[in-house]
Amino acid sequence: MVGGRATVYGRDNQLPDSTNHGRTARGHTGETRRGTAPAAQIQQRSNAVATADIPEDLNYTAEHEWVRADTETMLRVGITDFAQDALGDIVFVTLPQPGAEIQAGEPCGELESTKSVSDVYAPVSGTVTAVNGALDANPELVNSDPYGEGWMFEVEASGPEALDALLDAAGYRAVSEK
Amino acid sequence: MSQTPPSPHLLTSPLHARHVALGAKLADFGGWLMPIEYSGVVGEHAAVRTGVGVFDVSHLGKATVAGSATDGSGATAFDFVNATLANDLRRIGPGRAQYTLACDEASGGVVDDLIAYVKSEQEIFLIPNAANTAEVVRRLAAAAPPGITVTNQHADFAVLAVQGPRSADLLAALGLPAGHDYMAFATAVWNGGPLTVCRTGYTGEHGYELVCRQPDADELWTAILRAGEPFDVKPCGLGARDTLRTEMGYPLHGQDLSLDITPVQARVGWAVGWKKDAFWGREALLAEKAEGPRRLLWGLRQVDRAIPRPHMAVWDAPGPDDQGSVIGEVTSGTFSPTLKIGIALALLSPTAAEGDTVYLDVRGRRAAFSVTKPPFVTASTR
Repeated sequence: MVGGRATVYGRDNQLPDSTNHGRTARGHTGETRRGTAPAAQIQQRSNAVATADIPEDLNYTAEHEWVRADTETMLRVGITDFAQDALGDIVFVTLPQPGAEIQAGEPCGELESTKSVSDVYAPVSGTVTAVNGALDANPELVNSDPYGEGWMFEVEASGPEALDALLDAAGYRAVSEK
Repeated sequence: MSQTPPSPHLLTSPLHARHVALGAKLADFGGWLMPIEYSGVVGEHAAVRTGVGVFDVSHLGKATVAGSATDGSGATAFDFVNATLANDLRRIGPGRAQYTLACDEASGGVVDDLIAYVKSEQEIFLIPNAANTAEVVRRLAAAAPPGITVTNQHADFAVLAVQGPRSADLLAALGLPAGHDYMAFATAVWNGGPLTVCRTGYTGEHGYELVCRQPDADELWTAILRAGEPFDVKPCGLGARDTLRTEMGYPLHGQDLSLDITPVQARVGWAVGWKKDAFWGREALLAEKAEGPRRLLWGLRQVDRAIPRPHMAVWDAPGPDDQGSVIGEVTSGTFSPTLKIGIALALLSPTAAEGDTVYLDVRGRRAAFSVTKPPFVTASTR
């Protein structure tokens, strides 16, 4: 995830490069269905990597999602501390329905802040078994407790090899620091 | 995913180091690297609605029109500005500021919206938008008769906005003028330098915009934060400024106003001096007003849960069995932190009416919205 597709600022919103006024294809919410935005578009603090919490016992994707394996195939998914800080206050969450088949690397939901929309990507292929209904009324849980009450959905992976493609904490830290 | 360094050409506020130290997220606003948020847009927005917040808006333009014409006409800077910018300056006098528009002479489209401070007959101070300052100054300078000067002072001054129901208390604690009328300004001395305190803002709350010399900005910012401690003052970024202004339905140049969007279409005709003999764009705008605009700016309020974004198409039918047709486009859209719903400003065809249900194309799905007249949240500016 972490791909702001629309960015809206205050008075004097002459924005950087191609996101100017959100009118270009990349920044235009209405036209661009998916695509991870380049890092330049993600608004992060200069100390973000150094201070981000990256628990050792989780698996990660390069799209800044975490995966907790309860068994080899029963997985819980959320976004990382680094990602929630970069996205800012989450105000609306759209998640796949329980029962939905999702494909690794494909968008399966959206996280919206006041100023941007970001895709949620499926970290593995499989069937969604549960979604965090609390996020409907309290999307800010993604910010306040990204690894706990801010989890997004659970998925039964189509096979135990699903985890092999994921990063460990050290691998994710390396990706975040790039 | 490390942070891309800001482009070297970007200008920075005199408070840049303060913003970095506060952990702000920064972005380019009209060529200036300015804070989007510090602690978070939603919390900063709430601080302004319920307490007090301080914004660095030093990227805003500053320019002075001064003098009197030496061509025998006797026109003063006041007369010159009144004959070019749209609003009628004769509605106010010295010590007052006015929201006005610089329109294109041929099309009536909006070159910029700005605040004009009447300091005297011979001195009008202008606050245009950052990205439009050079163009506003260029157009005014080209039109100015001999004897009237137009000076771009963009980097000479800093502008700090203190906004929210506790803003007067905060300024009083600093010993600065407060409580004067809406759109009036007072002058004070700060650090031995001039400071203008104007009852203006872009938030819909009681608030002040402080214009100081750029070298004084750092001390003023620090003093505001210190004096604001008892009121839980929050440094606020331009992200919150955008959600605050959108809740009020205040137009943003580049989105809800532009060279392609006239004041008649954006319903800011109240800022046009229709009875004046001359202002830029007068003929075009009078003609459009008589004929009726081809589109009008409305507010949209969510019925189905969704957050509108600029340039989403507005349809008159829910689809997919009933496709209908496109009747407009969202110009500004966000989540309202006060109402906890999606809100938008949209240019709609003249057939649209208050109370209509319309449908936004939200990335392929249509979401129902209700057509309404802003503000979405009651203004407390006075």
